[in-house]
Amino acid sequence: MRTDHRVLKRFLILFAFFFVVGLGVYWWLTIPATVAASTLPAHTPDVANGKIVFNAGGCASCHATPKQDDKHALGGGLPLTSPFGTFYAPNISPDPNVGIGRWSEADFVTALLKGTSPQGEHYFPAFPYTSYQRMTSADARDLFAYIKTLAPVTTKAPDHSVGFPFDLRRNLGVWKFLFMDGQPFVADSSKSPQWNRGAYLVNALGHCAECHSPRNALGGIEEKQRFAGGPNPEGQGWVPNITQKGIGDWSEKDIAYFLKTGETPEGDTAGGSMAPVIRNTTQLSDEDRAAMAAYLKSLPAVEGPPKPARKG
Amino acid sequence: MKYAFLVAGVLALGIGAVSAQQDIVKDRQAQMKATGRALGGTLSAMAKGDKPYDQAAVDAAFATLTETATKLPALFADSTKGLKEGNEYSSSPKVWDDKAGFAAHIADFSKAVSETKAKVKDLDSLKANVGAIGKQCGACHETYRLKS
Repeated sequence: MRTDHRVLKRFLILFAFFFVVGLGVYWWLTIPATVAASTLPAHTPDVANGKIVFNAGGCASCHATPKQDDKHALGGGLPLTSPFGTFYAPNISPDPNVGIGRWSEADFVTALLKGTSPQGEHYFPAFPYTSYQRMTSADARDLFAYIKTLAPVTTKAPDHSVGFPFDLRRNLGVWKFLFMDGQPFVADSSKSPQWNRGAYLVNALGHCAECHSPRNALGGIEEKQRFAGGPNPEGQGWVPNITQKGIGDWSEKDIAYFLKTGETPEGDTAGGSMAPVIRNTTQLSDEDRAAMAAYLKSLPAVEGPPKPARKG
Repeated sequence: MKYAFLVAGVLALGIGAVSAQQDIVKDRQAQMKATGRALGGTLSAMAKGDKPYDQAAVDAAFATLTETATKLPALFADSTKGLKEGNEYSSSPKVWDDKAGFAAHIADFSKAVSETKAKVKDLDSLKANVGAIGKQCGACHETYRLKS
């Protein structure tokens, strides 16, 4: 009997030990990353470039107050439905109470590049920081300066409606560990400056892959099928494959013209969620659109997930 | 016997009516495709420099676009609400639930077509003005067209 007790005691001690270690690992793994102000190099914000970043990044598509025409009124409130719940785009206008008026520059850079709020919480990845993490800190700071020039909107956006267990923000640290590599954009020196500019616009700012890629059960992008389209993450319909498998018969000129006008080579037009995207890309320069086209045209053909047969 | 004929007749009429409505859906799709060819295959292709400017083709394209503007209300007749559509796209129920909004989009499209038609005289004026038409196509498709 005595030995039995000793074994049990040992087992309990071991169990407690691993439990504490596990908790420690979880804690360490899920610490929200930040960018300290002291690590940011000297920089004079370029508001004009900030505006380009704003348009290329598509900020207004989610953060502009819905049902009004001013794309610079960043009151938020647009609902984004997902299998995990409904997210409401927050107010990112410079209002000090309901917007980002009290944020420091480092808070803003941290939000975009690390997906962490000024309160030190993980943002939900409905905010496409897995793309924005590739942004240069200079672009992020220019964007901050530009948003600061816009009019404050005093309406508060609704809180997210996300059910248990997805509402436990600390767990998003695990999600980030799995799907966010924290790497900046790295130019490919074997490619032209135009291609690299396009790659940066498409991947870091434009976050095209966030919708144009299939996602796994945890909501992470299926890397092998990046850009190969898939079910609409917002529910209805199908997002097109934009690798050469899907748009192989589009010329670079066709892609650039589409980004400018929303017109496909067949004379069809972008509808649904792509229509607001076109309202952003139409504001970019011809050079930037041509760069995006050159990059997209270079994507190897990748088969997307099978499209289910239409019912009824 | 007479009764059987009567029933058969009524049924045939009923089926005929349904297929007439289904024909409207087919016409709608055909007209949309033709509109796309006029805009993308002709006007925008010239603006992009993929095709040389050709006044006769421009006139024909504008004729198609004008025809579309005229036909649109009938192509979305009330009787076609909820009917089966193509594999790629279908009409949003909003077409019939928000008739005023939908009609306003048709009016905008109509206006864009006639105004652009009046302005286009050569390649430069085509390049400068053709975007106004696709903008109206997209404005309506954003809300009133669904992906299947």
